Amino acid sequence: MSAAGRRLPRWARRSVFAIVALALAFVILAPLTSIDAAQQAGLPLLTDKLWFRIATTVAMFIVMASGWNIIGGLTGYASFGNVAFFGLGAYTVGVLVGNRGWPFALALLAAPLVAAIFALIVGLPLLRLRGHYFAVATLGVGVAVGEIVNNVGPLGASTGLFLPIVRSDLIFFYLMLGAAVLAVLTTWFILRTRFGYGLLAIRENEEAAAVIGVNTTFYKVAAFCVAAALTGLAGGIFAQWNSFVNPENVFAISDNVQMILMAVIGGAGTVLGPVAGAIALELIIQTLAGGGSGSVYSQIGLGVLLAACVIFIPRGVIDFFGGQSRLSMRYLRQTLRETSA
Amino acid sequence: MSLLTARDVGKRFGGVKALDGVTFAVEAGDVLGIIGPNGAGKTTLLNCISGLHRPDTGDIRWEAASISGMAPYRIARLGIGRTFQIVRPFPSMTVRENTAMGALFGRPQGRLQPGAALAVADQVLDVVGLGEKRHYPVLRLTVSDRKRLEVARALAMQPRLLLLDEVMAGLNHVEVEEALEMVRRVHQSGVTIVLIEHVMKVIVGVCRRALVLNFGRTLVEGPPAEVLKDPRVIEAYLGERYARAQQATAPPPSAPHPDAPPQGGRENPDEREEVEE
Repeated sequence: MSAAGRRLPRWARRSVFAIVALALAFVILAPLTSIDAAQQAGLPLLTDKLWFRIATTVAMFIVMASGWNIIGGLTGYASFGNVAFFGLGAYTVGVLVGNRGWPFALALLAAPLVAAIFALIVGLPLLRLRGHYFAVATLGVGVAVGEIVNNVGPLGASTGLFLPIVRSDLIFFYLMLGAAVLAVLTTWFILRTRFGYGLLAIRENEEAAAVIGVNTTFYKVAAFCVAAALTGLAGGIFAQWNSFVNPENVFAISDNVQMILMAVIGGAGTVLGPVAGAIALELIIQTLAGGGSGSVYSQIGLGVLLAACVIFIPRGVIDFFGGQSRLSMRYLRQTLRETSA
Repeated sequence: MSLLTARDVGKRFGGVKALDGVTFAVEAGDVLGIIGPNGAGKTTLLNCISGLHRPDTGDIRWEAASISGMAPYRIARLGIGRTFQIVRPFPSMTVRENTAMGALFGRPQGRLQPGAALAVADQVLDVVGLGEKRHYPVLRLTVSDRKRLEVARALAMQPRLLLLDEVMAGLNHVEVEEALEMVRRVHQSGVTIVLIEHVMKVIVGVCRRALVLNFGRTLVEGPPAEVLKDPRVIEAYLGERYARAQQATAPPPSAPHPDAPPQGGRENPDEREEVEE
């Protein structure tokens, strides 16, 4: 590939890799020091409860953004209804654990299954639509599912469902982290298989894909189901972590917008783009949202940031720093030319 | 038995009869040229064969089995490859990867794994003359090379029948010669070919038979040299000026003057034809 010649020099890549690995190791291990036992043993406290929650939220959005990336980034079908999968996963755990008394572990297996089955049912008709039509139709599904749940008595209607409280931030952090790793590995694996090539072909020209033998309907629905399963898994973990689910906190369209922005800002269609986007955006949101009048400015700041990202790095943060391009004026000029054309 | 048989195929778009009872057969080893004015239904016919359109009437058979209304991917895997008049590459992939996609998905003998598919792509790229440019991103290719890439991707499927939709349109003199040579090589490798073309040189140069469509109906069918002299074809498609030019240069009947695309008729060999829903 011609890109190889334009890469960063080896020492730079190695040091970047080392820094990233160290940072990851810190994020993964630091929470261990915040538990009581570690404090009593005299280990330094590296994270507090708030950062713990933020880190878990970041991991949750990595799962959602990666899930969206599989249908939106790899397959080219921008779904605005993925939050329905999150909500269904959350309600599956909510009903099974809260009402039926299932063990959480078992209910957590059911969450991605329910979400995937729902994706199969709505995907067959919806994935015939393209572009804006698909976006609007999935948005409709997302809103509709939330409204239906809001009106079904056994699901707690607008009050929601309460789950037995499990007091262990540690478990949920590592569960979410595990789900995030699973989501990233799934994307990485898909891109190395025939299935992945088929999705890319569908994204880039669906009719051309069909006439060279890609079973487009099957591939699209399968990608939708995989995305749904991952998103449903995150929802399932969230339900027990939060120990309370209601339509407002698990069927929020704003979450759907957020996962799309994360994937797009980070780099849609790449393996690590959604990860970078989720970390960057969630940290920015948490930093800017200081509460009070500050949150207004945070909204504005977010808007400005998005506009800047779309104009200057349309191919995402990942592409900006690594791989095929460098942080340079030449690159900026080139992307400006491409976006204005 | 014929490789491909179309019987009484009809297709409507709203009030327009794009195809109206077209019947023809393609034998194994044949090269059939389809010509006709813009809007005659040529691309619609190809779309019906490759499954992008479902014919409203009639039947299309692949050997003994009917394929009308079958999903495009299944038709592709039977061994029917096609190209698009307006090229449709996968822009994020290199030339080699684009080509390998055909072998990855569409081989009738069974789909290949990525590594083996890339090996097939390398062979095919040499056949179409893109071997040197295999690592180019497709966006760096010229129009003529993109047309070759369309053919390469279809060939990588190792099809028995290849449908070519105006692979020569928009090419200059030299490029047409090269493309003609490429089509001959493909045919000699044992692939049956159906091609739509406005460049008459191609029709007389490689086709064994020609089918003329007009307003969705078959106007004439026969050997190219005879078809191009038929008064109905001259009136509907080639135009008087083309016919006079033929007479003036007084070519032998077996090889009419091949250079000029038809002039003065209703034809304008541009890229605006493709009938899309």
